[in-house]
This record gives sequence, structure tokens and C-alpha cells, in this order.
Amino acid sequence: MWTPCGMARMRPHSSLKQEFLKEWIKGLQRCSFPKKSILERKKAIKLSADIAMASARNGTTCWSRALISSAARDGSDNNHLVKQILGPESDRPAMENKAPAREASVCKKILKRSCRIRRRGRRKCGAAAAAPSSIAKHLVKKRRQILRSLIPGGEFMNEICLIEETLDYITSLRVQVDVMRSLATASVRGTE
Amino acid sequence: MESNAGTKETRSNLTASDGGEVTAFESLQFTDEIHRLILAPTTDNSSSFTALLELPPPQAVELLHSPDSPKLIAASPPNVEDFQGSFRFPSNSGLIERDARFSLFSGEANNSNEKRNSPESKNVSANPEKNVKSEPAETESSQPLVSDPTVEKRSIKRKDRENKVKGSTKKSKTVANENSEDAEKLPYVHVRARRGQATDSHSLAERARREKINARMKLLQELVPGCNKISGTALVLDEIINHVQSLQRQVEFLSMRLAAVNPRIDFNLDSVFTSESGSLMDSNFPSLVMPAIWPEVQGNGHRQQYQHQWHLDTLQQPVWGREEVCNNYITPENSLLTYDSSANSATLQANHLKMEL
Repeated sequence: MWTPCGMARMRPHSSLKQEFLKEWIKGLQRCSFPKKSILERKKAIKLSADIAMASARNGTTCWSRALISSAARDGSDNNHLVKQILGPESDRPAMENKAPAREASVCKKILKRSCRIRRRGRRKCGAAAAAPSSIAKHLVKKRRQILRSLIPGGEFMNEICLIEETLDYITSLRVQVDVMRSLATASVRGTE
Repeated sequence: MESNAGTKETRSNLTASDGGEVTAFESLQFTDEIHRLILAPTTDNSSSFTALLELPPPQAVELLHSPDSPKLIAASPPNVEDFQGSFRFPSNSGLIERDARFSLFSGEANNSNEKRNSPESKNVSANPEKNVKSEPAETESSQPLVSDPTVEKRSIKRKDRENKVKGSTKKSKTVANENSEDAEKLPYVHVRARRGQATDSHSLAERARREKINARMKLLQELVPGCNKISGTALVLDEIINHVQSLQRQVEFLSMRLAAVNPRIDFNLDSVFTSESGSLMDSNFPSLVMPAIWPEVQGNGHRQQYQHQWHLDTLQQPVWGREEVCNNYITPENSLLTYDSSANSATLQANHLKMEL
């Protein structure tokens, strides 16, 4: 449970960078750029970078799997792009992932709804005395919800998992930003 | 192989000695083992043991193996010979006292021993003797002499056990009531109740979970810059959220920049790749190029000072500056590459603004 994050931290940044770059180049080469508007190209670049980051982690983490599956589920054009980027060999598992994810989401929704009702009942009882500790708890819970929405696939994680995945996600986001920035500066220098 | 050796050994032992002696031997064995367990980390490698925990497992095993194995081999044979006939019952009062004091460990050690030995004891249980459980201890003591790989295995297991014991020593300093019954009841949850805390399994599990979460939060604090000095979960979470959001925004921005600067990115990749390997290492680019200045500044701001303030105060103002910069370097590219720049850049501006905000 705890090992993936530990590995991510122990792992030297440069190797992760190289892996990400490799994946990204593969993805970019797969999705060729015909004459598109800048926005479309931007979207393609962003998507390919995200997917490259996710696949650089080899699907060992929840967020990377969630990222790929959500990208594959999003829209029709996105779907097309994702298929292009991922290539033909990884098409099948993405399709397999779809159904259980949806089922899980439905289950979660039902569970959430029931929890909400229960909580409402409880709050009526304890609404009179709002202890500072309960306020703090509420604040933390709110922020945790925000964090959940930020991290791909965070809705389905428990708290421990969420924090671990956040750790991993931040490290790989940093790698992504570093690589992209150096690429941008290098390409600017190259064109001039 | 193990079970065969064990049965042979035990049969010879059983013929030589009756049941009472076996139990005596067992208890002595246990106390001795516990004694060794307690002393080993403090005497041998008290300073290096914490360092061992951070090493990769094979190395750690090697390091652990080297000081341990001679001692083990040296220690085990006299045990067998000395204790066979002479003692009726554990007479070493110091060891017994120690055992009583560290009853928690004994509980854990017993548990782990029994867990470990369960297959062997099943094999041996064909013998019509009442003291079945005592035999695995003997097989253990005779094992290291037989073959080397088993020694290594043992040292791994032992390392695990030492870890367990070490973890519980930390906690036992704060524990008020330590009774071995509790340890037997809950062998897997290593959190114990302080005075006045609930002791049912649910609250114990909850406490363990909270401790886990706190440990992870500490790691997260170390990772996110500017988070070390903040106390309070909500504030730390705020910082983390800000950090993640800023990183995501940077990715958006950079992908936009890449799309704008380089229409055929795959052409350039080879030349970029060569420059990448050098530039990735120091990641300090001389910002000669005009458009390159902004992200550099942004990155520095994010890395070094990184405060909540920064977001509130400076985000409003730089957006305009950033937009200008974008325009500066997007429009020449567009004109050069014969894109329909007028409509595109207008939508681009709007979208970009939206994105940044």
C-alpha cells in the first residue's frame, strides 16, 4: 500500500523525466498535427502530456489509471485523440476499465446520498453546539473534497490513499512541468 | 527438508528427555530469544539500525546477516547441550523478570513464532506427545547449522520481528497499562490505548488510521514547499491544493506555449532531445529569449517564496502582462506560418485569460 509513493520519492527525478519524455514523444508522434487551430493543438499537446505522465508511472498508481480512463471517456474527439496517442495495443484495457468504473460511480453515488441523509439527521441534533473542533473538522473535510476533485480519480479514494496519491501526483506533475518548460525554451531557442 | 530435519532432531531429543524438560527448554529458549532481541539493537548496531531500515532490503539483509549469523551459530549449540539435562525449570531469575517486564514483546514474539511454525508443527503433530508446540523451537535452534539459505531466511524474518519489537518499544514508552492479554487479543493493531482512551477494536483501528494519515501528511508537508512551518491540517491542505492547482495551471500554460511556438513539434524533437539532456540537469535556463522570461519568473516564484499571498496579490496583475507577452510571441509566429492569426489570436486571448483566471 505504502510502497508506490515511497518508490516515487526514492526514484531519481531524472529517470522519471526521461521516461515521461519518451512516452510523450511517442504520443506526439502518433497524433500527427494536421492544419489545426492553436487551441486544438494545445489540447492535443496537453492530453498527450497528461497521458504520457500517466503511462510513465506504468499504471501502478490510481491517479494515472483514472487519468487515462477519464481521458478515454471524455468526448468523441478526445476519445479519438486518446486512441491515437495510446496506440492500438492499449485500446482494449481502456474499454475493459470503463464498465466497472461506471458501476463503482453509481454505487458511490448511492452511498453518498444515503450518507448525506444520515448526516442531515445528525446535524439537526448537534447544530446548537458548534464546537471549534467540529468547525475545524468541517474545514478539513471541505479542503479534502477540493483535493479530491483536483486529483484524477480522487473521488473513489479513501483518505490515506488520497494523500499517498497526492504525493505521487505532485512529484510527477513537477516532472511534467520541468520537462515541458525546458522543451518550450529549447524550442523557442531553436526557432529563432 | 526442514520438517524432516526437525522430526529427526525432535525424536532424538524426545528419547533423551521427558516432557517437563522440553517445556523448560522451551521457556528458556523463548526468554533467551527475547533477551537477544532486546539487546541486539541496542548493543550491536543501535546507531546503524535506523540506517538499515532505509536501505534497500537485500543490502540490509546482508548487513544484518553478517553480524548476526556468527553469533547465532555460536549461541545455539551450547543451548541445546546445556539445557537438556541440567535444568528442571527456568531458573535464571533475571531473564524471567525481564520477560515479565517486557511481556508485550513476549506476546508478540510468541505470536510470530507460532505463526511461523504452524506448518512445521502440523507436520510433527503425528508424534503422540503432549508437548507438540515445543518442538518447533528446537528445530529452529538446529536449523542454522544445517544449511545457509535457511539462515538467511531466518535473518529476514528476524529483521521483521525486530522491526515489530522496535515499533512497539516506541509506543510502550507512552503506554500506561501494558498487559499481554491485550496483545493477544489484538495482534495486528499496534496501537494501544492510553489512559482514558477507548479500547474497543473500532476506536483502536480508527486511531491507527489517523496515525497513518498524520504520517502521510507529514511527508506531504515536506514535499510541498513553504509547508513546513504551517501547523493545522486545514492550512496544510490549503497549501497542497494551491500547489497542485498551480502545477496544473503551469501545465496548461506550457502546453499552450508549446502549441503556439512550435506548430510541428515532432520535427524539432531530435534537436530538443540533445539539448534536453544537458539542460534538464541544471534546469537553470539563461532567459535570453523574451517569451522565456515569464515562465522562469513564474517558476521561481512558485518554488521559492510560494505563499498564499502570492496568489491573491499578484495573480490579478500579471495576467495582463502575461497576455501581452503571449501576443508578442504568438503573432509573429502566426504570420510566419500563415495561420489565420486575427481570429485565432482573439479567441486565444479570451480563452487564455479564462484559463489563467
